[in-house]
Amino acid sequence: MHIVDGALAPEVLIGGGVLAVAGLGLGLRKLPIDKIPATGVLSATFFVASLIHVPVGPSSVHLIMSGLAGLVLGWTAFPALFVGLLLQAIFFGFGGLTVLGVNTVNIAFPAVIAGFMFRGVVARSNPTAAAVWGGIAGALSISLTTLFVAISLTLSGDAFIPAAKLVFFAHIPIMAVEGFVSAAAVYLIMKVKPALLMTGDQANEYAVQSSIILAEQANEANNG
Amino acid sequence: MAKLATGIIIAGVMFGAHGAQAHKVIASVFPSGSNVEGEIGFSNGDMAADTVVEVFDNLGNKIDQVMTDGDGFFIYTPSEKVDLVFRADLGAGHIAEAGFAISDLSDQAGLTGEAQSRANEKTGIKQAGPDGSSRSGNVAISREQEEAIAAIVRDELRPLRREITAYKEKNDLQSVLGGIGYIFGFFGIAYYIAARRLKAEASKP
Repeated sequence: MHIVDGALAPEVLIGGGVLAVAGLGLGLRKLPIDKIPATGVLSATFFVASLIHVPVGPSSVHLIMSGLAGLVLGWTAFPALFVGLLLQAIFFGFGGLTVLGVNTVNIAFPAVIAGFMFRGVVARSNPTAAAVWGGIAGALSISLTTLFVAISLTLSGDAFIPAAKLVFFAHIPIMAVEGFVSAAAVYLIMKVKPALLMTGDQANEYAVQSSIILAEQANEANNG
Repeated sequence: MAKLATGIIIAGVMFGAHGAQAHKVIASVFPSGSNVEGEIGFSNGDMAADTVVEVFDNLGNKIDQVMTDGDGFFIYTPSEKVDLVFRADLGAGHIAEAGFAISDLSDQAGLTGEAQSRANEKTGIKQAGPDGSSRSGNVAISREQEEAIAAIVRDELRPLRREITAYKEKNDLQSVLGGIGYIFGFFGIAYYIAARRLKAEASKP
């Protein structure tokens, strides 16, 4: 999942860095002030998820939780996952600083894709159906990430089919586990705070609210 | 409700199941007499079995390659006095790399073969000769015994080395909490900046 320093060609690193900066810029532009706390919490979730090990047979896999970030945040998943990856690289030595851009794109872009594909249907469904769609989004996000990792390795000189197969099959247990955990998380969100997963409506609501807040603050400022 | 409870139980089992570790590549090399021993694997305990380990000198030229055994363990006998870099590709973007300083080898005489070390020993005894009988006690250990002791010490130290490697890779609660703290702090600052901007826009006439 995390590609380490020294595995990729410099061109791929630079390309990944440029794409990551573009994604970060887009994510930060689309970050409304009331989504900042949610972004921080999901960033922390991603940061810690990699330490949670799920035993699968003789081995174990760790969670990633990028699908959930994509569902809740959309493009804002880029800054959230970037910060998580940066701190994972610094604190735990996962991945590395030179591959940070590539890893960010490989993990955050699939999250964004899964988010946009399933956000609408999740928001419209009842909690149980939403949980199923959320689980699918979580698993899809991981499988797309394996595809992206395979592409990164191919661009650095590996043959595509063996690399893709190896990465994809190694991550099947993660997809299953991730699907379950994402489904549980989406179920909980739909029960407790469904507004987190609403897109269009919430944006409108936000626009109305923010104009009221702006008006209030303008008055405060005038009062001194 | 039942589902929620199940979810919480599953989450609890997963949190409790394993300590804080992740699938990180671990490569450790350490001196062992005139050889270099190394171990390569993942932090979840999967070792890199039957993997090609390439050996480079400090300038990046490939010198040699060795294979790991079923437990991800390998032994390399340096033929030149240069610092070494061991590198193994474990697939899927996992590269194991470990450096080794040649000066760490205790038995450098071994580089040029057993014959020279024996020769050194002989000359050592000759030089010790004129000192008289006081040195004779030191020569009581034969070459074979010395090697046997060295092998025993090495075997005794091996678990300790493994433990040190494991300890280095351990992620303790402090760094986890510290990381979460950084994240919240970072987004707190972002929130502050966004709020300031909002307020500045609002106060504009």
